[in-house]
Amino acid sequence: MPTWIGQAVRHGIVTSRYPAEPASEAEVPPTGRPPVAVKGSKLLPAGASLCPVGAISDRAVDRGRCIRCARCLPGGFEFRGPVESATRTRTGLVTGEPSPAAPEPTPPLAALSRSVHVFLVDAGSCNACNLEVLALANPFYDSQRLGVFFTNSPRHADVLLVVGVPTEEMVEPLRRAYDALPAPKAVVAVGVCAISGGAFAGTPGLHDALDQLVPVDVYVPGCPPAPVHVLDGLLRVVGRGRKAEGA
Amino acid sequence: MIESSELPARRPGTGGTHPELALAYAADDGSFAVYNDYSAGRAVFRPRSETPPPPEVAATWRRTRDGGQVRPVAPADPVEGYGLFTFPYGPISMGVPESGRFDVRTYGERILALVPVAGYKSRRILASVCGQTVPDAALRIERLAGNFSAAHATAFLSAAESAAGASVPRGELWVRALAQELQRVYNHVHVIARVAEAASQNVGTAQTQALAEEMLRVQGSVFGHRWLFGALLPAGPRRRLDAGDRRDLSNVLRRHAATFDRLWELFLGSRTFVDRIQSTGTVTPSLAKEWGAVGPTLRACGVPWDDRLRVPTSPYTDLFLDLPQESGGDALARLLVRAHEVRASFLLIEQLLDRWTTTPEALEAPAPPVAPSRALGRVESPSGDLVYDVTLSGDRVASIGMRSASQANFPLFARGLRDGVFTDFHFAWESFGLVFSEVDG
Repeated sequence: MPTWIGQAVRHGIVTSRYPAEPASEAEVPPTGRPPVAVKGSKLLPAGASLCPVGAISDRAVDRGRCIRCARCLPGGFEFRGPVESATRTRTGLVTGEPSPAAPEPTPPLAALSRSVHVFLVDAGSCNACNLEVLALANPFYDSQRLGVFFTNSPRHADVLLVVGVPTEEMVEPLRRAYDALPAPKAVVAVGVCAISGGAFAGTPGLHDALDQLVPVDVYVPGCPPAPVHVLDGLLRVVGRGRKAEGA
Repeated sequence: MIESSELPARRPGTGGTHPELALAYAADDGSFAVYNDYSAGRAVFRPRSETPPPPEVAATWRRTRDGGQVRPVAPADPVEGYGLFTFPYGPISMGVPESGRFDVRTYGERILALVPVAGYKSRRILASVCGQTVPDAALRIERLAGNFSAAHATAFLSAAESAAGASVPRGELWVRALAQELQRVYNHVHVIARVAEAASQNVGTAQTQALAEEMLRVQGSVFGHRWLFGALLPAGPRRRLDAGDRRDLSNVLRRHAATFDRLWELFLGSRTFVDRIQSTGTVTPSLAKEWGAVGPTLRACGVPWDDRLRVPTSPYTDLFLDLPQESGGDALARLLVRAHEVRASFLLIEQLLDRWTTTPEALEAPAPPVAPSRALGRVESPSGDLVYDVTLSGDRVASIGMRSASQANFPLFARGLRDGVFTDFHFAWESFGLVFSEVDG
């Protein structure tokens, strides 16, 4: 007769080794990596004409806009960017732009590096980001092993995790949730909808950028970001993020 | 088409006639409606003015086109009494990870009435895609509800293709069906995991969540994207599967199907679990038909309706599909239907993989119609019947309407929870599989 304990033993341990080891291919599908021009910047103009959301300009790829629709692939792009593409600054998501080597700011909540409590706010998502964030609780990712806990009240949280493009109707609830967080606090924008409006940028009645409503400390690009990306973003808040490959 | 004379007599208090089960949808101008003709076993389309749905339900299916308005999505349910107050649950709560509000009339424990309020996260999608080309509009439409993306993309594309008079290769229809079935399995498993979580079945929750994650990984490996975004469009990230890949995939899915069978047997063997969901969130068959329930909610009320077998253009008509039916109408019945559908979908996936003999065929770009033309697309999303009404002008979307499964089922959820207690909320909510973003548009 099958039993729960038998099922659990039979199933074995499936928990990811991330971030001690790099994310596996199963954890990050092809679209989990940002696109890069294979043969360098001379392809950018071709990509710019293919991109439906304006993530590719003549000079740079803006990871904060890319919705991973794969339309630029025939133009010489490939999903080959680093898994750890979360950044502390919005400009850090724009690759290829000659930047004045700004030092990465210190983690906002370094003092809480062993345990951080997270409150999720959906500002207008398609539900995919929500489910990817909730997936952190499943046995594959088990965020609690890294001291990342989800709370049911903003008053118990250190980090406000925001998904979705902020709608006019959610601005007030969002601000009130932010105000309810005790200091020190940090905000993580998960998904390109929260970063730039993503596929919905420019729609009347929507706020394209979360960082114009509340200060954002970490940007996690992706549409939606996979659980390892969200985990990476949360660890970056407390200064425990994995060093980006090739960075 | 059924004739007006065949419609049932006027119901007292509604001020209009309606067929036994009227499925009006929030069309662009509200002039068309879709009805399931149960006796004839088919779907019929007719002008809405002839057969309006009950007005209290029609009011909750207001057009989503403009979006932006926070509004109740179930009929008002006034109740008064000593000590009663309205407890607003939401719009932000971790219990329901999406943003939406529930106005609960209670005196502290029992839910005497509940009215869901949606519109907080309206992204104005239907309005914003007007004027866009079909592939560009599809990028937004598939993000209307991330976990039902395959259903939304398929319904929208099939409506646009019919409007343009384009013929779609059979192989492409099977690829879309494969995407939908994979997503159906994911969604049903996810629903079971959420109900198990609410019932504190900790081992069962972890095991079921793990299976849901495995399904997302399968979707990622086949279609290049864990949520199938872009995968059904030309130039999407989808992979070309050769015979070896399909065999491997088939083996992986067979393993997952066996895991699911074991888990479900264990769940049904747990008295605490079954007791908790039995008679919770009950919808009576008469209310389900009257208000137009769809999907597993309808099939849990003893009505064997499924668009996959009823819509004439469905690619499922020559596949084997075992349709479940339960009669309880409660959370248990809905979960039994879902569990049965998981098995049925695994069988469908096997058949679809067998048929997917060639690489996905290139879609020919349809010649844009000269005059504006309008067509409907209809698929069975994991939570039920989903209808798109698309008018094309040239190669662009001129206007668009949509009636989602969540829009149809929200009033039933609200009524099903009446006279429950607070702890019933999550069992009822999760078992319906409702998605706020699909209501807000």
